[in-house]
Amino acid sequence: MRSEWVLPKGHLSYWLRQLRNRASLIAPLRVDGDIVFKSLENIHEVSLDNPALLPSPKEFLLPQQEGMFWTEGERIRPLLNKERRFIFGVRSCDVSALGLLDRFFLEGYGDPFYRERRRNTIFLSIVCNNPDPTCFCIGLGTGPYLEKGFDIQLTDLGDRYFVQAGNRQSQRLVRQWSFLFTTPRKVDYEDQYEVFLSSKARFQKRISLESVREYILAGKVRDSFWESVSERCFECGGCVYECPLCTCFTVTDRSYSFGTERVRLWDTCLFKGFTRMAGGVLPNEKRVLRTKRWYYHKLVHYPDVLGSFGCVGCGRCTVTCPGRIDMATIAIKLRDLQDNGR
Amino acid sequence: MAVRERNNIYLPVKAEVVEKRHLSADVSLFTVRPDVPFDYRPGQFFMVSLWGAGEVPISVASLRKEGAKRSQQGGDLIEFCIRKAGKVTSLIHDVEKGGFLWIRGPYGRSFPLEYATGREMLVVGGGIGLAPLRPVIQWALRERNSIKKVSLLYGARTPDDLIFRDDLKRWAESGVNVVLTVDRATDGWDGNLGVVTTLWHKSEIDFREAVSFICGPEVMIRSAINDLFFFGMPEDRIITTLEAHMKCGVGKCGHCYAGRLYICTDGPVFSFREIKEHNLL
Amino acid sequence: MDKILTVCPYCGCGCGLYLHVEEGRLVGVSPSRSHPVNRGSLCVKGWNAYEFVVHPDRLLKPMIREDSSGLRECSWDEALDYVAHRLAEIRDRSGPDSIGILSSAKCTNEENYLIMKFARAVIGTNNIDHCARLCHSSTVGGLAAAFGSGAMTNSISEIRDAKVLFVIGSNTTEQHPMIGMHMLDAVDRGAILIVADPRRPQIAEFAHIHLRHRPGTDVALLMGIMHVIVNEGLVDIDFVRRRTENFDAFEHVLRGFHPQAVESITGVSIEDIRRVARIYAMEKRSMLFYAMGITQHITGVDNVRACANLVMLTGHIGLPSSGINPLRGQNNVQGACDMGALPNVYSGYQTVTDPRARRKFERAWRRKLPTKPGLTVVEMTEAAYEGRLKALYITGENPLLSDPDLNHVKEAMKGLEFLVVQDIFPNETMEYADVVLPACSFAEKDGTFTNTERRVQLLTRAIEPIGDSRPDWEIIADLSGRMGYEMQYRGTYEIMEEIALLTPSYGGMLHHRLRERHGLQWPCPDVGHPGTPFLHRKKFAKGLGTFITVEFRPPAELPDEEYPFILTTGRIYFHYHTGTMCRRTAVLEREEPACYVEINPLDAERLHVRDKFPVKVSSRRGSIVVSARVTERTPEGVVFIPFHYSEAAANLLTNAALDPTVKIPEYKVCAVKVEPVMKEDRRTRPVKVVDLEDLRIT
Ligand SMILES: Cc1cc2nc3c(=O)[nH]c(=O)nc-3n(C[C@H](O)[C@H](O)[C@H](O)COP(=O)(O)OP(=O)(O)OC[C@H]3O[C@@H](n4cnc5c(N)ncnc54)[C@H](O)[C@@H]3O)c2cc1C
Ligand code: SF4
Ligand code: SF4
Ligand code: SF4
Ligand code: FES
Repeated sequence: MRSEWVLPKGHLSYWLRQLRNRASLIAPLRVDGDIVFKSLENIHEVSLDNPALLPSPKEFLLPQQEGMFWTEGERIRPLLNKERRFIFGVRSCDVSALGLLDRFFLEGYGDPFYRERRRNTIFLSIVCNNPDPTCFCIGLGTGPYLEKGFDIQLTDLGDRYFVQAGNRQSQRLVRQWSFLFTTPRKVDYEDQYEVFLSSKARFQKRISLESVREYILAGKVRDSFWESVSERCFECGGCVYECPLCTCFTVTDRSYSFGTERVRLWDTCLFKGFTRMAGGVLPNEKRVLRTKRWYYHKLVHYPDVLGSFGCVGCGRCTVTCPGRIDMATIAIKLRDLQDNGR
Repeated sequence: MAVRERNNIYLPVKAEVVEKRHLSADVSLFTVRPDVPFDYRPGQFFMVSLWGAGEVPISVASLRKEGAKRSQQGGDLIEFCIRKAGKVTSLIHDVEKGGFLWIRGPYGRSFPLEYATGREMLVVGGGIGLAPLRPVIQWALRERNSIKKVSLLYGARTPDDLIFRDDLKRWAESGVNVVLTVDRATDGWDGNLGVVTTLWHKSEIDFREAVSFICGPEVMIRSAINDLFFFGMPEDRIITTLEAHMKCGVGKCGHCYAGRLYICTDGPVFSFREIKEHNLL
Repeated sequence: MDKILTVCPYCGCGCGLYLHVEEGRLVGVSPSRSHPVNRGSLCVKGWNAYEFVVHPDRLLKPMIREDSSGLRECSWDEALDYVAHRLAEIRDRSGPDSIGILSSAKCTNEENYLIMKFARAVIGTNNIDHCARLCHSSTVGGLAAAFGSGAMTNSISEIRDAKVLFVIGSNTTEQHPMIGMHMLDAVDRGAILIVADPRRPQIAEFAHIHLRHRPGTDVALLMGIMHVIVNEGLVDIDFVRRRTENFDAFEHVLRGFHPQAVESITGVSIEDIRRVARIYAMEKRSMLFYAMGITQHITGVDNVRACANLVMLTGHIGLPSSGINPLRGQNNVQGACDMGALPNVYSGYQTVTDPRARRKFERAWRRKLPTKPGLTVVEMTEAAYEGRLKALYITGENPLLSDPDLNHVKEAMKGLEFLVVQDIFPNETMEYADVVLPACSFAEKDGTFTNTERRVQLLTRAIEPIGDSRPDWEIIADLSGRMGYEMQYRGTYEIMEEIALLTPSYGGMLHHRLRERHGLQWPCPDVGHPGTPFLHRKKFAKGLGTFITVEFRPPAELPDEEYPFILTTGRIYFHYHTGTMCRRTAVLEREEPACYVEINPLDAERLHVRDKFPVKVSSRRGSIVVSARVTERTPEGVVFIPFHYSEAAANLLTNAALDPTVKIPEYKVCAVKVEPVMKEDRRTRPVKVVDLEDLRIT
């Protein structure tokens, strides 16, 4: 089955409108000086010159707060969210992250809440032709465009989009409105390649997490370095909340007079209470242990277990970290330390 | 290992408390009958919850009867030995016979009991740590023909804190070498004093040949495994179970994550070799 | 999925955040990237600000106390009619000044304005105050007298361009995290950071110089620094001559503070005093910051005056990245003060004793207004205790946790004839309430908050009110109508229009203007005005700046044989104020679930106390049992207790001694003793399962 098309720009809003009639359409909108993902009212409001949005689209699959069960007496109702959604305007790095999240949540014990949301969501991503100063997906193979792993990927070719569908469900979305699309010609492929190249040239940051991993594994990163990093941590949790690959949650029960809800909430390993044991023992009371844990998880353990870094280079932690000890900054610091032969 | 196929891994099953026994001032044994049967092995744990209070991981404290079939009323019985440690466990302690707990599981790796076949078996427990070891001893007694010898070293803070006392007595009568000790004696105690790791000589075990199963407070585990290793027990046969903060039990919530492993799914049972390799203690 | 821009309900940074709404439910929070303060970051409280809103404890229905059965739920009509009737009756019988009103720094500007209007125009009393009394009234008093305006002079975004940051009595990275972020950025860009704090807060980790003076000796320290500045000719003579007055009298007093003497009072070495004086005075872009470590003393106003004198002496004011910056605690404590929720001023600090101001408000409100300044929070408690105050109407405050000397406050509450508590959650004070009114949280209402840099920002309703709760302004307007004074507003924007008319500094603050660019900073006198990023440019608000002479006075209660430790109280990062919101947030509560006392390792050793051991801390007023946290953060001879915990309320210990001018209580210093507590035997139910005889197996 064919999976590549061309969509004239003038047809985009028509297509989006059709999609919106099918399910809720969420896209980046400019509001109050920011660009945020939210349900679309007017198609023309879509803002595509967006930076990697805060927060990441993981909020649609693992919301910050999600009801799990509602109980009244002995009756239990699982609170599965079955809303159908199209998320338009996602970036490539986030799509790469979703691929890893899918593996994390669906392999082994499958997470039913995630599965239900994932099944009902289609992500329409856009090849980045204008990366932010904070982006560094380019060193990680997670952007600015993807070869595979996307639902639908759009490349902006000036007056038209190059459209690729990565799976059957997504192909159907195009074929239902096939009259909007045309068959790609040679020039379209050439233009797409051109966009890929020019996009790659625009990156300001080139970061090799591979070498950071090597420094760490070779024992070249001293504890005093981690101390100096963790000293600057505000314990805000922002890096974890923003990161498209951080998945930790906590569970809490809320009892109302008319029933009890079991909810899960985003949590972060950067808090000391995260690992509190009965009787108040805090295995990670020292902040440096928690900072190290986060970096080790992403740079050492993630590759061991899932075969890729626990970071897709979206740069969100760079934006949000008040202590300026985000992934990119630390990687650059470590590189500089190594270069200076220390 | 058999994973129960249910479509919602977080959905607990109702379990009626058919018996509740006080084992010490803050430890009780809950015998429950879940609505559906569970297949579980020693060392595994369940997430036990009360709606409105929360969920906590609790090891199974009983051995599943071999070939147990689905009984008329639902599943067969499971025992949980629970210490009043904080918020949730205190509320669980308020549940009396006839009340309900909600359970899901079993989770985690079980004890590799087959290692004991044809060998001597040393069981080392501290405090509430005897709970997950109880089914190990029960199994050993059931399989007594294939196990050369069973020795139990068990310590608690005071004589009042020794749990499963009638079991201890029965085991001793059945030929288990039971050695008890307390940190602090009270009136009427003239047994051993001091931590369990001072009693290796009373275990009557050939450490090089034996397999050991250990559970208790972290400090106790740490010194026990180091001693046993020093005495020449191979690191693969020093087996313990670790504790961690747990919210999901299925490798998703991240709380129990330690050195690339999830204690809940990769453990909680680990050999000394794994503990060393992954820096778990 | 909708996202609504609003303002964080916690601290005075006033971060802009989006509330995420899914099917009418709050599901999350994300920071605004374009906001000038937080720029895409938030602290942990902001990140979790969505959770408490739907907590099961929320008050859902009005309640009235029945003598026999406690509080019972009732309708709004019944509750408000009853309140109206009782208040009117008490007013007519005992006079308007027998009624007191406590407004709240958690309420919006519009609400504070209405509550103050209610007190003055409807009840007819100036007995209105709020908790700023307990944290920053010294600032309002001290800075207003010196400059004519008591607020942060600079903008938060100017911090990164400063060359010297002098932070005194503020644990900035933990209490005003987003301001701390800007400070760290400034340090990264080469600024010198000086921290003066008896404890060692996180911000001190980044300080180039950390002065650990003895608690309560701030005046001496600052005077010592100024002594050096004068002596070494570092005074900005032009500035002092052209823009200030009364320098000579001040200089005369200053002579008494020779560094030698200051060293022995404060414990800070002469060299350090000299170094700080030189660094601070010689760099042009120097910013001074202070928080509750300065204000919560009996010498609170003097401390503030000393700070004001320091910036005038060096001319470090009236320019970008150069000024004096009190960091206000609560999200809208600045606004509550601006709106005149104070016993002596109307909105915009127009004094009630000024006949012109009074006449203006009388004409606008069509009522005769009381002429005498009213009672402050602590004075109201006193008056209630003595039976002079018969009724108290409390919105969004919890005096039974926040006020000093709690046992005394309890007695006072019991003595009241009529107590109304209006809040979002049940609190300790409610035990004594005759009527409880459920209010809306920040997510359910519109209005404006003014952050610590004077930025008036719009709050937007994200979800429908929970239960039958109503926004505070609606409740007050409704009640007022029932007491015969119509307050008809179609929305908070109409209240703001009235505020703008009557309040010069808010003249241009109309809601539609605030929607753009995250609000405007006052003064903003008219609708064409772009707002004011920094104050006192070219001229002080009151004309010439005034050097006000100060003398050093030791704290009211000093350690002695019996009570050998100095207790200082404060907030911790994961919690906030009396804990009504954060202690109902799962992650925050898990982080710091229980109260503790910080104690220096050397003291701990002497007392045979180890980390996490229970200890009893007692003062002349009460005692609490908490667990010890042994840490170098607290110097020898000093202990620190956070005041968020009702089960171990630090304010059972604190001293209600007041600053003579603005009546702020001395939370930061009182004398206590610390004793280890033996763990009581945990065995309550001896169990005999098997006889010990049987157990003697080996
Ligand atoms: C694999 C495993 C098996 C266990 N088996 C038993 C058993 O058989 N019998 C028994 O009495 N206890 C057992 N525990 C310990 C028991 O789970 C804790 O005592 C219990 O979680 C404490 O919860 P609480 O709310 O009463 O205490 P609090 O101290 O009030 O705990 C507060 C929160 O922290 C979490 N928490 C605290 N300590 C732990 C912990 N150790 N593990 C996980 N979460 C924790 C809980 O989720 C709880 O919500 C086991 C723990 C693990 C990890
Ligand atoms: S670690 Fe930082 S840059 Fe990497 S994926 Fe997470 S948020 Fe993005
Ligand atoms: S964002 Fe930065 S300051 Fe916040 S928790 Fe992460 S590392 Fe710490
Ligand atoms: S710094 Fe203050 S205003 Fe900002 S998120 Fe934290 S508590 Fe809220
Ligand atoms: S308990 Fe949730 S990951 Fe292990």
